[in-house]
Amino acid sequence: MKVFRYWVAAAGVIALASVTVFGGTSSAHAAKAAKAACKASLAIEAPLTGQVAQLGLEQLAGAKAAIAADNKTYGTKVTLAQDDTQLTPALATTKTQAIISSNAVGVIGPSGSQEVAAVGPALASAGLAAISGSATNPALTTSGANTTFFRVVATDAVQGPQDANYIIKHLKPKAVLIIEDEEIYSTGLGGTIAGILQKAGITVNVQSFNGQDSGPTLANDLSSIVSSQLNANETVTLMPIQEAADAQQFAEDAKQASKTTTVFGTDGTDSSSQFFYAGSLVSNFAPDISTVKSSLDKNVTKEIKAQGSYGPFGVPSYAAADVYVRAIASVCKAGKTPSRANVLAAVRKTNIPAKANPLGEVIKFKANGDLTQSQFYLFKINSAGKYIQIPSK
Amino acid sequence: MQQFIQTLVNGLTTGSLYALIALGYTMVYGVLKLLNFAHGDLFMVGAFVGYFAIGWFGGATSLVIPAWLLVIIMLTVASLGVGGLGVAIERFAYRPLRNAPRITPLITALGVSFVLENSVLLLFGGLTRYYNTPAFIPFSVSIHIDGVSIGIVQMLIFGGSIALMFVLLQLVNKTVLGKSMRAVASDREAAEMLGINVDHTIAMTFFIGSAMAGAAGVMYGLYANQVANLIGFLAGLKAFTAAVVGGIGSIPGAMIGGMFIGLCESFSLSYISTRYGDLTVFAILIAVMLIRPTGIFGRAPLQKV
Repeated sequence: MKVFRYWVAAAGVIALASVTVFGGTSSAHAAKAAKAACKASLAIEAPLTGQVAQLGLEQLAGAKAAIAADNKTYGTKVTLAQDDTQLTPALATTKTQAIISSNAVGVIGPSGSQEVAAVGPALASAGLAAISGSATNPALTTSGANTTFFRVVATDAVQGPQDANYIIKHLKPKAVLIIEDEEIYSTGLGGTIAGILQKAGITVNVQSFNGQDSGPTLANDLSSIVSSQLNANETVTLMPIQEAADAQQFAEDAKQASKTTTVFGTDGTDSSSQFFYAGSLVSNFAPDISTVKSSLDKNVTKEIKAQGSYGPFGVPSYAAADVYVRAIASVCKAGKTPSRANVLAAVRKTNIPAKANPLGEVIKFKANGDLTQSQFYLFKINSAGKYIQIPSK
Repeated sequence: MQQFIQTLVNGLTTGSLYALIALGYTMVYGVLKLLNFAHGDLFMVGAFVGYFAIGWFGGATSLVIPAWLLVIIMLTVASLGVGGLGVAIERFAYRPLRNAPRITPLITALGVSFVLENSVLLLFGGLTRYYNTPAFIPFSVSIHIDGVSIGIVQMLIFGGSIALMFVLLQLVNKTVLGKSMRAVASDREAAEMLGINVDHTIAMTFFIGSAMAGAAGVMYGLYANQVANLIGFLAGLKAFTAAVVGGIGSIPGAMIGGMFIGLCESFSLSYISTRYGDLTVFAILIAVMLIRPTGIFGRAPLQKV
């Protein structure tokens, strides 16, 4: 029995020594390994199929381009999982649950404000950062529900007044028709602009249609608005919607009915392949860097084109992915393995100078996840269907 | 008055499209008692075939043939192509299930619908594609009466759908194939015993119904000027509603049901609210089911004792 006790004591001492020696070695080894191969996974939530697929495909190309470039620059091995939400809260919820169960340390997106409103609290509970390049509803960062949500673009609190003031100052209408698609983004932005226009003495006629409609039903929705709601004095029609093709169809319907109105689309309609009606105006949170000659813009454009189609939604996603890879690299540099918590903390500390951001602004977040400074841009569609940037004030 | 007439025109245009799709629904149901939920997606495929046909002849802005000839070719190619696709679907997805419980082909039809939507997505991507109709049929080619604009495409849709319905009625009532269809619809086993080739008759029913959906797809593309892989499902649902309201299995019923649904939707959008089009249509469906379950032209099935 005594002999047995000695053996137990000896085994205990050996075990303790092993834990101390090898445990210490193991944690040092992990730090070394993390530094040597800084691996992490990100996920992108975007509409990769469906009626606004062009938006998501541009975002995907932007995110992939930034990750590929930054992996080379920072020596990281960041990978990207793709989650198609079709811009619907229901699909976004399903995809978000899957992402939460995965090993992703951050989410690029979701794209739509209504999606962020649906999944933001779940992402916050999981401690998972989400950086959107297109969700612009101001309430997302003021409600307090989405504590891990950030965005690299200006909000509708910037877009709304800017668009309204442009309409008042330059288009000088007596009355404006506003067509909403009943989504949170649409009603929020439409409401903001309507309020400013009414204060300026402009009559506002707000109409809406079911944004989920398609085919002949959608065609009937839009042609009915033209025939029954578009009055002769409504020389401007504002469309704060997310499907650029609907703005194109409305403009054509108005022409078919011999009604004259300038269609003014907000950021959701910015797509030169889907909305190209000459004389229309479109505002967006991203400049068209493909026409700018700076070396950063030229490189970013080239990198995005190498991954897919270049478009206005790609550049903000590029910036969002860039924020993540820099955050992941900084975590690895500190000798830690990237986790949701330390990547989130590093994202909060982001400070990317304007000259390193293709959006042309400093990327620095306020406590609520909004940028400290940001702006919107305005484009006019010329007779060839090309977007020409014009002064927005 | 101007708004009333314009709403009427819009309603008849949309209603004609619903009616053309509903005709296929009603024919297949009449013969097989199958609700072919993939039928709306055949409409979508037809719209895509029309889109590619424009490209074959130089594209919308640089056509190498006259516009009227292009439209005829688009309608023909889409009808034949989608008709053939309908036959293939019947052969491989529905025929093996002909003696299965009725829920089985119904679920299969939903599956076929998703297969079609996603196949088009895989092949052609998710972006909306434009016919660019104004480039070869200018907006100026319209009738303007007292502020009401009726485009030539709208006239084509309305006139074409009426003409197709009459052709179909003649085919069903006056031809050998039509007799076979009616015989198979009445009693499949008895028809087979009388020497009617049931498989051929059902295949032809699918061909004709699908061809009409293909033609409707082209007409829609010319009218709305855009196509995407998801345009079929809601269109199919509305057409199904039209077929049920008109009396499923009845050809005039499908036509009248389509027009009725299109007009109700349009007047609701114009005179009640631009939000309530869908609500109105599906409320009508419920009301018809409660008041007259067989639809406007439908007949209660005979009880075999």
